[in-house]
Amino acid sequence: MIRADLFPILYLIVLTSICDTVNQLFLKSAINSLNISVSKNIFKVLFFMFKLLLTPRVWISGIFALLSLCIWLFILSKVDLNYAFSADSMHYVFIAFGSSLILKEKVDLKRWLGTICIVVGIILVSLS
Amino acid sequence: MFKKGLLSLPGGSLPINMLKKKLTLNILLFLILTDLLETLTQYCFKKAAISPGVFTVYKAADIFVFLRMAFSSPYLWVGIISATMIFITWSGILAKIDLSVAVPVASLSYITVPLVSIIFLHEKVSLLRWGGIFFILVGVISVSLSTKDKESLS
Repeated sequence: MIRADLFPILYLIVLTSICDTVNQLFLKSAINSLNISVSKNIFKVLFFMFKLLLTPRVWISGIFALLSLCIWLFILSKVDLNYAFSADSMHYVFIAFGSSLILKEKVDLKRWLGTICIVVGIILVSLS
Repeated sequence: MFKKGLLSLPGGSLPINMLKKKLTLNILLFLILTDLLETLTQYCFKKAAISPGVFTVYKAADIFVFLRMAFSSPYLWVGIISATMIFITWSGILAKIDLSVAVPVASLSYITVPLVSIIFLHEKVSLLRWGGIFFILVGVISVSLSTKDKESLS
């Protein structure tokens, strides 16, 4: 049995993981959209960073990062750190789904097995 | 939050047709540094979150009261600074080495965070939970292992 008091918090952890995923997807899509040329020149990299900061998608990403932090703080005030931190690994699963659905990246079998492993781990961690 | 996700940053895609697999001592030390920083970040966030004491939310506005109290804790700002440092060191590391090599070492934080919570926060971690953490570790590592080839192209 999953402990009753952990259950509502699990929803919040799902929510913060989704916020993280959205944050990462927006950031990645902003980086993709800029079409960077490969360079080892530090000034070019800095210029790229600056251009990145002017992209609206990066701002959206930042808003979701902040939202995720607020929910995270609330979660931590309610449950043990070790539980929350372990359960939060589900953002790997969401990112695998998100990058295959939205960014059209290829996710191979080994990665799907890995995500299943993470889910099993989260269930075990939530059992008491 | 700034997570060490599956994202490679612009710095991470600098050398394009190069296999970046050699884990040097220097990089290893930086990876361990990100583990420690991650642990510090989580510890600080936890400390900030429990600083308002036992807190019950009755209505939506209470959440803002809670957040104001949490954000006024110095721990939170130490945590944010440390998270920003992770962001920087992590993108530096990814410029030098494949994500598939970096993530297994970086996921050591799934062990260090529970250790810190046992020692400093006096939490209890059951055997079953350690078993779950083991599964998560295996999962995180195998998710990152298959990035090998694509990572050098992206």
